[in-house]
Amino acid sequence: MPFRICRCLTVAILGLASPVLAADAGTGQDGLTWLKKMASASHRLNYSGTFVYRHASQSETSRVVHYVNAAGGEFERMETLDGPAREVIRTNDQVVCYLPESKTVIIEKRGKRRFPAMLPDRLTGVPENYVVRVGAMDRVAGYDCQVIVLEPKDKLRYGHQFCAEASSGLPLHARTFNEKKEPLESFVFTELTIGGSFNRDKVRSRYAAKSRDWKVDHSGFPTGEVAADTGWVLTQRPTGFKKLTELKRSIAGRTVMVSHIVYSDGLAAVSVFIEPLPKSRTAKSLSHQGAVNIYTRPIADHLVTVLGEAPAATVMQFANSLEFRGIAPPR
Amino acid sequence: MDKISELMDGELDEPQLRQQFTRLKQEGDLVRCWQTFHLIGDALRGEHPLSPDFDRRLTERLAGEPTVIAPRRSMVKRVTTYALSAAASLSAIALVGWVAFSDNLLAPQAELAKASVTPSASAPQAQLASVPSNGTMNEYLIAHQEFSPSTTIQGLAPYIRSVSSAQHVQGR
Repeated sequence: MPFRICRCLTVAILGLASPVLAADAGTGQDGLTWLKKMASASHRLNYSGTFVYRHASQSETSRVVHYVNAAGGEFERMETLDGPAREVIRTNDQVVCYLPESKTVIIEKRGKRRFPAMLPDRLTGVPENYVVRVGAMDRVAGYDCQVIVLEPKDKLRYGHQFCAEASSGLPLHARTFNEKKEPLESFVFTELTIGGSFNRDKVRSRYAAKSRDWKVDHSGFPTGEVAADTGWVLTQRPTGFKKLTELKRSIAGRTVMVSHIVYSDGLAAVSVFIEPLPKSRTAKSLSHQGAVNIYTRPIADHLVTVLGEAPAATVMQFANSLEFRGIAPPR
Repeated sequence: MDKISELMDGELDEPQLRQQFTRLKQEGDLVRCWQTFHLIGDALRGEHPLSPDFDRRLTERLAGEPTVIAPRRSMVKRVTTYALSAAASLSAIALVGWVAFSDNLLAPQAELAKASVTPSASAPQAQLASVPSNGTMNEYLIAHQEFSPSTTIQGLAPYIRSVSSAQHVQGR
């Protein structure tokens, strides 16, 4: 009799444990499918909600509204709810930041329709650089969601964790961890409505009309950007990072064209910017904003700025192995 | 040649010192002379102030330093800069050699230990402390976001980094 009880207990324990084990055993391929589903959901769904952004010891709450019209046009509005008012408006390929406190508008004109079309290519590096795991189920902002964990295979990148809404795949939380598994940054929805019909008014800027006499930070170049051989190369490219694109582009607030080279390991991206050395800035500097590290150093007559969602050592490795090889003469 | 031995013995005044250092920089034979004299002196005293192959290893370490290769505004400027830096390194080596030599006469062991610690202490570059962003990189941060797969996954949310209140208060 005692033996029987014992066996019953064992079965019960195994029975309880098995769903967890099954959930943990999700393959990397499942994880990748979830990542693609999240990216697609972020761009194709209508949603509005409130999210909290945490970094260091600070947190900020923002309201975000995302609408897609019948023609596939994407409209998004984000507004901070605490601290000084700030608003970011995306209209297809243009992002405008309104900073009412300093009466500044930053306009960033983006290239033509990059994603979500480009996404599958970008994700190709993920399995090589991260162990992708489908974790347990969780609950965020009242929705059931699936946890997806990306553990870095080396110290050149950070760890990530997402929770994707169970049916649509919309990411409800996104967290970034350093090599000690300490949280660096997180985005978490606290309230969310998925669906609803398109309403242009909800994604209109509150400041567009008022900002007519504000300082507008945009580039003086109508071209925006051109794919180009900048002549700059990396002698020691950090493992797993591949070049995504190389451009000569305009940057808000800059009066000259800036070289911009982007590298990615499939999830994290690192941007290298090269501009002529301004008279005022010559010293090396290292700074951070959440999970983004920013390193600036002069190289001869140029100022190099490298930034990305990667550890400071990785960002610095990019900057320190940058070399000018020269541009091939036109034929 | 006589001046070189006086230089070694510390018998020259400052203007003469400068003159001899200039000659050392210009005449390769004199440098070899200077090295040979030191070698003879060391041998006579039975001292080995620098480990064997010190110069080879120093050259290797220097070669291992990141080379700055980037276009410059004018060729003239590049030549002068390189010439100056070459001159500076030569005099630095001369000075290090001289200091190490004279110090070794007084306290060979302690100074040798100190000399071997100094280069490694200045070597790592990761000592630069990271400070919270002050907002001066906002334009670059915004330009970067559009290419980041994390933006692809999360939509507009990561743009909050570019307008974060912490940096907004400090910057602009």
